[in-house]
Amino acid sequence: MPEALSLLCRVSAHPESRCWALAWSPSGALLASCGGDRAVRVWGREGSGWACRAVLADGHQRTVRRVAWSPCGQFLASASFDGTTCVWRRHEHGFEVVATLEGHENEVKSVAWAPSGSLLATCSRDKSVWVWEVDEEEQEFECVSVLSAHSQDVKHVVWHPSQELLASASYDDTVRLYREDEDDWVCCATLEGHTSTVWAVAWERSGQRLVSCSDDRTLRVWQRSEGHGGGSEHSWQCVCTLSGYHGRSIYDVAWCHLDGRGGHGVRRRRRAVFEEVSPVSPGSPVTFGLAAHVPRAHAQDANGVAWHPREPGLLASCGDDGDIAFWQYQRPEGL
Amino acid sequence: MAARFSGVLQLTDLDDFIAPSQECIKPVKVDKKPGKAAAKIRIEADGSYFQVNQDGEAQKLEKAKITLNDCLACSGCITSAESVLVSQQSHGELCKVLALNKAAAAHEQKLVVVSVSPQSRASLAARCKLGLLETAQKLSTFLKGLGVHHVFDTTFSRNFSLLESQQEFVRRFQRQAEDKQALPMLASACPGWICYAEKTHGSFIIPHISTTKSPQQVMGSLVKGYFAEQQHLPPDRIYHVTVMPCYDKKLEASRPDFFNQEYQTRDVDCVITTGEVLKLLEQEGVSLSDVDPSPLDTMLGRAAEELSSHRGGGSGGFLEHIFIHAARELFGVHGASIHYRPLKNKDFQEVTLERDGQVLLHFALAYGFRNIQNLVQKLKRGKCPYHYVEVMACPSGCLNGGGQIKLEGESSKEELQQVERLYESLRAESPEENQAVRELYEHWLGGWGSERALQVLHTQYHAVERASSALSIKW
Repeated sequence: MPEALSLLCRVSAHPESRCWALAWSPSGALLASCGGDRAVRVWGREGSGWACRAVLADGHQRTVRRVAWSPCGQFLASASFDGTTCVWRRHEHGFEVVATLEGHENEVKSVAWAPSGSLLATCSRDKSVWVWEVDEEEQEFECVSVLSAHSQDVKHVVWHPSQELLASASYDDTVRLYREDEDDWVCCATLEGHTSTVWAVAWERSGQRLVSCSDDRTLRVWQRSEGHGGGSEHSWQCVCTLSGYHGRSIYDVAWCHLDGRGGHGVRRRRRAVFEEVSPVSPGSPVTFGLAAHVPRAHAQDANGVAWHPREPGLLASCGDDGDIAFWQYQRPEGL
Repeated sequence: MAARFSGVLQLTDLDDFIAPSQECIKPVKVDKKPGKAAAKIRIEADGSYFQVNQDGEAQKLEKAKITLNDCLACSGCITSAESVLVSQQSHGELCKVLALNKAAAAHEQKLVVVSVSPQSRASLAARCKLGLLETAQKLSTFLKGLGVHHVFDTTFSRNFSLLESQQEFVRRFQRQAEDKQALPMLASACPGWICYAEKTHGSFIIPHISTTKSPQQVMGSLVKGYFAEQQHLPPDRIYHVTVMPCYDKKLEASRPDFFNQEYQTRDVDCVITTGEVLKLLEQEGVSLSDVDPSPLDTMLGRAAEELSSHRGGGSGGFLEHIFIHAARELFGVHGASIHYRPLKNKDFQEVTLERDGQVLLHFALAYGFRNIQNLVQKLKRGKCPYHYVEVMACPSGCLNGGGQIKLEGESSKEELQQVERLYESLRAESPEENQAVRELYEHWLGGWGSERALQVLHTQYHAVERASSALSIKW
């Protein structure tokens, strides 16, 4: 089974530091990484490998925890433990900061652009999720809502692939969903089931399902069911729990948007030198089978994973060893 | 218990209150006795802690107590912990004081004064399905039955807050050329906003905040100053309680700026919320509609026949009063009309005074945390176009305060609209035309704009240093 995922190449992305997260640009031409060295790096293909095209070093005073590309590919947002979120504009020779979003009381943990590109979401250890409106002409970002639904540290935010529906994952063991209501935003669903911190969530391409990963060593797949009366209200149910594949905390999950390929978790563990990366494919609508896994994918904890948006099977992962690893996934026979 | 406390924890599905932070870092001072040996700590059955040294000698350890004042001095949270509020300012504390007062010898008894905010009255009226005047009259009877001597209305003290704010704005406007921090002037009546500004934006934002005291604190000065003199009592012989729509008013009353050092007494001794008044009623088994009405007290001793209010909405009408006054004083425009233009949302609106296409006055109201954020960021970037902003921490303003009563079986929006309709049903008076206010300015404050008026009706703010605590980081 391990042959299903083969290592293409490995780069030392944030040497002597941790690499926290990865984000492919919408076209897939560039990959952004961020790390404990307070920098964001942008990578492009060179020959058969990957080379650093830009270092965005002067935006943050502390660790950069997440990066996110705008849907147009012209902007990159970075969320930092210094309490700010920077928005960088791409131009011919590199990137420049066009806005610094302040307001969170402490560490910003994640940032995400809505599919329209006109909204941005951030979340923080201050327990809140913020929605910002983007005025592209003025390069202005205005806070349209501060959501305090979670009772603890919020780890991750991610937008529905086509609608203005936002999901957040938290240390309070829940996933929450938000939508706009008149001139404010409201929490419209709470997904309960995980028994420990939910580290990340990922949407399926259709937006009908999402997958969450947790410190409880499971992945949960949630299915949307339309409410009665055909209104905008809907409910979410956990249709599948994937357990037994990861022996430790699962820190990130990504859902490949190119075909039916399913969720994919990364396990990270402290102190030990033993890691795995394991894609899972859906068998029937509510069952998933482990398709591949790689122990020792990273020398230390693995932190982030991202499927390439255009090339089937291309996967990038990053870890505490500061490396980015590029993988090719082949669907095994019989799945 | 926790669910009943702090505006942050309570209220509505309007999810926009300033939330408490995880970093309550009240440094607990430990007075170390000299000695080199390690000691053990023993916990007794009653929960008290004893330090046992090597000789076996036990010494009772003092419990660390957090006071409201500590909360104000700490940058850890934005509003304080509910347990602190419970122990120092609550309806339970009020009951305790009233019971002690009844039992005390005549020369030690305190005169108990309760000042009720008009927002609280509207919330109670909506809950009890009564008119505003009836509510005021019946509440007065109820409170007096508990041992309260006088019941006042903070609409009266708000006259002073409005008049002083108007004056202050005109002064600031006139010195804007030489003082870059004179404008915009930001409202000062909301203690949630003041606390947040002091802790988060300190010295940068403080110069912009109006120095005028809030209606609650003006009432405090009137009761412990003017009224005490009238009663021939020192200020510490009066126990002054206010009824407010907001938990953060408890913090405001606890500020050292409102503490009388000479008499060791606060201008407002205890603040209870509207919800706590309801609890008092329930505790006494009283339904307000069954209570007989009694005449309303006024500070100048004349009975009030009717209630009045001020124009400009449930948060006090600061924007409208200052706008109309400034239009008249600065530009000679009498009776300026006010048209609100909603911006991003209903809690962020602006008003302008224009002449020949030129904007003379540009005011805004910004309610709720998200709008405060945008306002502060605009100010920081030098892109704030306003001369005055009525800032309130609660979405929809004071009528939607965290201390208001939640009606049963109705959606919060309808409920709020009902309270707003009631609140606005009163005749609006102009603060300039209130005879009693004039008399007080003339005879007690030494005249309009006097040094004494400035001293009695204004306050100051203090930046709180942000402690750079490296608490255990969670990824």
